[in-house]
Amino acid sequence: MHRTSTPAVRTEAVWKIFRQEAEEVQAVRDVSLRFERGEFTALAGPSGSGKTTLLNLIGGLTRPSRGEIHVAGQALSPLGNHELAALRLRHIGFVFQAYNLLPVLSALENAELPMLLQGVGLEERRARVRELFLRTGMEGLEDRRPGKLSGGQQQRVAVVRAVAGQPALVLADEPTANLDSAASDALLEVMAELNRELGVTFVFATHDTRVMQRARRLIRIVDGAVASDEARG
Amino acid sequence: MSPGPMRLRVLVVLALRNLRRQLRRTVLTASAMVIGGILLIFSVSLGDGTHEQWIESGVRLGSGHVSIERPEYRLSRRIEDRLPPAVREAAEAAMRSPEVAGNVVATSAKLRISGLASSAAGARPVEIAAVDPPLEADYGMVDDQLVEGRYLEADDRLAACVGAALADSLGLRLGSRFVVQAQDAAGDIAGQLLRVVGIYRSGVPEVDQTLLHMPLATAGAWLGSEASVTGFGVLLNESAATGRVQAHLEDALAEPVARGVVRVMSWRESEPALAAAITIDDFGNYLMQGLLFLIIGFGIVNTVLMSVMYRRREFGVLQALGLTPRQTGAVVMIEGLTLTAASGLLGAVLGVIVTWGFFGDGLDMTAMMQNMDEMTFSGVLVDPVVIPLFSTTRLIQITAFILVMGIVASLYPAFRAARIDVAEAMKFER
Repeated sequence: MHRTSTPAVRTEAVWKIFRQEAEEVQAVRDVSLRFERGEFTALAGPSGSGKTTLLNLIGGLTRPSRGEIHVAGQALSPLGNHELAALRLRHIGFVFQAYNLLPVLSALENAELPMLLQGVGLEERRARVRELFLRTGMEGLEDRRPGKLSGGQQQRVAVVRAVAGQPALVLADEPTANLDSAASDALLEVMAELNRELGVTFVFATHDTRVMQRARRLIRIVDGAVASDEARG
Repeated sequence: MSPGPMRLRVLVVLALRNLRRQLRRTVLTASAMVIGGILLIFSVSLGDGTHEQWIESGVRLGSGHVSIERPEYRLSRRIEDRLPPAVREAAEAAMRSPEVAGNVVATSAKLRISGLASSAAGARPVEIAAVDPPLEADYGMVDDQLVEGRYLEADDRLAACVGAALADSLGLRLGSRFVVQAQDAAGDIAGQLLRVVGIYRSGVPEVDQTLLHMPLATAGAWLGSEASVTGFGVLLNESAATGRVQAHLEDALAEPVARGVVRVMSWRESEPALAAAITIDDFGNYLMQGLLFLIIGFGIVNTVLMSVMYRRREFGVLQALGLTPRQTGAVVMIEGLTLTAASGLLGAVLGVIVTWGFFGDGLDMTAMMQNMDEMTFSGVLVDPVVIPLFSTTRLIQITAFILVMGIVASLYPAFRAARIDVAEAMKFER
């Protein structure tokens, strides 16, 4: 695998242990991984295997019990909540299973929200969103509110939102789980194209075989630990 | 545009659209605030109007909004403690100054001493107010409260106006003669024959039983005090000008004030019972208004908090996208503050319109007082028709109160939004 000096993500012996009353749950166990820029990687595993927790750890949404995570060369553990938010804004895009668009904003406004927060000017924002809407087949739907879009369309807007701010990586948690096969295939095609043509780094948590088949690297997580890590065609 | 203002714009847009999204809830909560605002303006302006009437009634019967006396006079009430004539002249000149003349309605110079009034029917202790009749007609209330006869006139010599209760107890009628006795300027007891030309009824029992007015010139000749007086009072067009006029008089009389020869007092100092009554009444009003807004405030906390709980996932998304916890809280603060401030201020504006539109000429509360012959409070007459009063200071206070309430009511929901566990909030619920 091609390696640059600064990977998009590097995890070093990361553990996440939840304590529920007297019980201790090891959601992530000693995970050391490196994701290079431009990767299209799937974290696969059954429900409860720790995929989402690992994504949340990488995204700085939750803190590891032990170990260290670096995103775009920046170690996360010394960062406070505000600095973590700033890092997410600059370097990480999210795609969620439930789309999670803001219902009070139009498709266009949702898509350009991270850029607005980054301080990107109006012209550039509109140019980036226009291009991404064109690529994702969302042109003409810019002014619709999420409630007026199908699940597949909402997820495409979520992908545009995740990508438009030009992050170092996009973390996608079960992005196809709520979509039918046609919508899933179309969405995966969109993400693969963005990865191929724009070099966007994608890391998926999934148990959807279609996602696994398209991934160029497949990491299997079992009981919170990496069971296998294989590069694919 | 730099990121800061852009982010603020995003926060404001999100907050306002969320208010619109929950329109019914927003309108219901806003309605409570609007009604609260109307009631606040109504009760504050009527309260202030009532107090202004009490003050006017009190100062007209008493020493004025601002008064000058010798420091000893307040306790001694003796004729020896008269104002030096130069002080009265300086005070009169100061009140003609353009800086305060616009606020001065009338001035009064009185010789006010204790004495004894006797008639064939008996004798009663009295408060003798020797006045300059034309000045007093503008200043006092006795001429407006006559039930028989007339008020004193400039060329009266042996005339007196007496309270109805005093007239009854001494068996006096119009034209009756009676004698007043008091200590004169030389320290001797001196008597003066007077004739009743007017009988008044102020409604304040202690006034009607004791106070009589007589011409200052007659008193000066009788008591050997000539034209000198024990007090100089200023009646103002609004009590709010008291401090400014008091300061102006203190400046004009800086030298005798510094020597301790005279004291310039506000009505709060000269009528402490009235000031205390107003403070107590204000406290009661504020307590009721506070309780009202506490209830409305809980409604707002509830609305905003419900909105936060309902949108946990959205706040999670915002933080995942890069909004800091503080900025997430700011969205909620803006929502709460906008809801409170907009509806509260709308309520205040409507309150002004309602209060002045319907009650600008006064709210007649006679029906509530119909079982009372005389309505007095803390020694002053209470007019059953209350004219609402509103000032810029009150507007600023009420605006500040509404804004502070909006901030306080939004703090806890904002804190909850800021402290949201993003990973937990983002969990997909099947």
